[in-house]
Amino acid sequence: MLERLRHPWSDNRAERTLGAVSLLVCALVVAMVVFVGIHAWPIFEHNGLSWLGSGGDLGRQLAAMQNTTQHPPPSAYHLRAWTLIYGTLLTTAGAVVLALAISIFSSIFIVELAPVRLRRIAIPVIRLLASVPSVIYGLIGILVLVPFVGNDLISTAQKESVQNVVELTGAGLSVTVVILTVMITPIMVALICEALVSVPNSWREGAVALGVNPVRAMLAVTLRAARPAIVAAAVLATARALGESIMISMVSGSRAFSPKPIDGLVFFFEPLRTLASGIVDYHEGIGAPALGSALYAWALLLLFSAFVLSIGGYLIKLPLRKYQVRG
Amino acid sequence: MNRFRRLSLAFAVAGVVGVAAPAAASALSRITISGATASYPMVSLLAQKYIKTHPKKVSFKITQGGAQIGINDVAAGRVSIGDVSRDPVAADPPGLVFYPVAKYGICVITNKANPLANLSSAQVSSIFTGKTVSWSAVPGATASGPIDVISRTSVAGVLTNFQTLFLEGKKVSTKAAEEPSEGLMRAKVEGDPQAIGFVSNYQSDKGTVNAVGYNGVACNHENVKNGTYAGTARFYEVTKGKATGAASAFIGWIEKSAAAAKIINTQWLTI
Repeated sequence: MLERLRHPWSDNRAERTLGAVSLLVCALVVAMVVFVGIHAWPIFEHNGLSWLGSGGDLGRQLAAMQNTTQHPPPSAYHLRAWTLIYGTLLTTAGAVVLALAISIFSSIFIVELAPVRLRRIAIPVIRLLASVPSVIYGLIGILVLVPFVGNDLISTAQKESVQNVVELTGAGLSVTVVILTVMITPIMVALICEALVSVPNSWREGAVALGVNPVRAMLAVTLRAARPAIVAAAVLATARALGESIMISMVSGSRAFSPKPIDGLVFFFEPLRTLASGIVDYHEGIGAPALGSALYAWALLLLFSAFVLSIGGYLIKLPLRKYQVRG
Repeated sequence: MNRFRRLSLAFAVAGVVGVAAPAAASALSRITISGATASYPMVSLLAQKYIKTHPKKVSFKITQGGAQIGINDVAAGRVSIGDVSRDPVAADPPGLVFYPVAKYGICVITNKANPLANLSSAQVSSIFTGKTVSWSAVPGATASGPIDVISRTSVAGVLTNFQTLFLEGKKVSTKAAEEPSEGLMRAKVEGDPQAIGFVSNYQSDKGTVNAVGYNGVACNHENVKNGTYAGTARFYEVTKGKATGAASAFIGWIEKSAAAAKIINTQWLTI
């Protein structure tokens, strides 16, 4: 068997084998979506699409789902999960916008301005940072950042101003967004740096030769050429932020609450829960039929948003292809 | 012999060793356990002792994740025994048998900087259901400002027991943060001077948080043991149908042997 594998494969055989493998991957993805869909169905059956809306306290609804029998009545499936969707959108958008700004400027610095020696150290270190497991960020968050924000940044007056609605313990929106930003920035910097490096030097030199100053050339030529890579980096970072679960479960305050911008500064300290961290927090209850079905419905929504994201990323990149360089 | 052949020989040898090792181990009967984070320390101590007193008979695989995980795993036949830190409820799958093995205390805990000595049952109920919201309304508290109530997710066994024993079945306020495990609950109370929460007595005995007395009785091992502490709940070993084989022998040993009783009585209490 091993002896046969060593001989070069005929084209025909290689084609069929590789084709079968890639079909298998597609089949796995389809099977996964179908599996999650079947388990999530009872939620759609009893709520329609209105479970995406808001209404009532989510914590109470989930507790009611947990406390029914193995054959729950239709009323036990009542779910309004907008709080989780809102929390997911809020943290993801916040982190991606922050990370985008930071990573574009730091990539420009590393590629265009930093001395060669610094660049040689910086790029591998950033690659390394991109692969740090998220639970480590979660630990730093819960042991260092959450107590710091709770005890030093939030004043007693602020806590008292909202004490009838929500508790401010330090864990919440600000800590979540900050750590999420730190997590996704290295991925974006690594990708954008690669794209900036691969912009041909002659383009830049050409622009400078035409009398444009170097900073302008950087923004108008180099950065422009790297736009598809920036979009790709943002899509990848958004996917990671959307799916992040364990770190958010540790530092987000673990309460299904929608932070309200109308509360002013306090808004940034209010707790929240996202779709992915909700699945982690309630995974124990998957054996209770109604609660299990709710978890699968959240998972289906996350899968769906991943598809939307990759298609959206592709569509945005289409008109940017004009000046594309290989990133 | 070229390099490729040597490599494939190495893989073949590794493969044979890999297959042979589990085959040798399967001569032992294997007990798999999963479930409550609260009872995990006790069950792993018991399993270690059981292996010593019954050499070459059994091997254990113990994981933790929560009471509800234990229930799900044992009902689906993924493990032989589920660890559960709460009493049976209506939502449990049919056909499970609950064997009570130990009692434990549930302690109300506060931050070390707020060494509250005692709370009455009315005060505990008022704080956790969200009626009392400020430490200044709690006599004996050195903390000031709003109370941060920390709770567990609704699937936690300890939360179910806490609501039955301390709140007369009332629910913890929806304002409370919901932590997914005992460890995270303790970490949260350790880091927040205004926090109040609840854990099993094993977790509060580690000295990093302040265990609050309940109705004038301190939450410690002695008081759980002599029966004066009211917030006492039970750990169960759960099997699908009546326990059989190695699982039955292990549960029987926990229930009857003096060695097991000695271990249980270090931190918990025999039934």
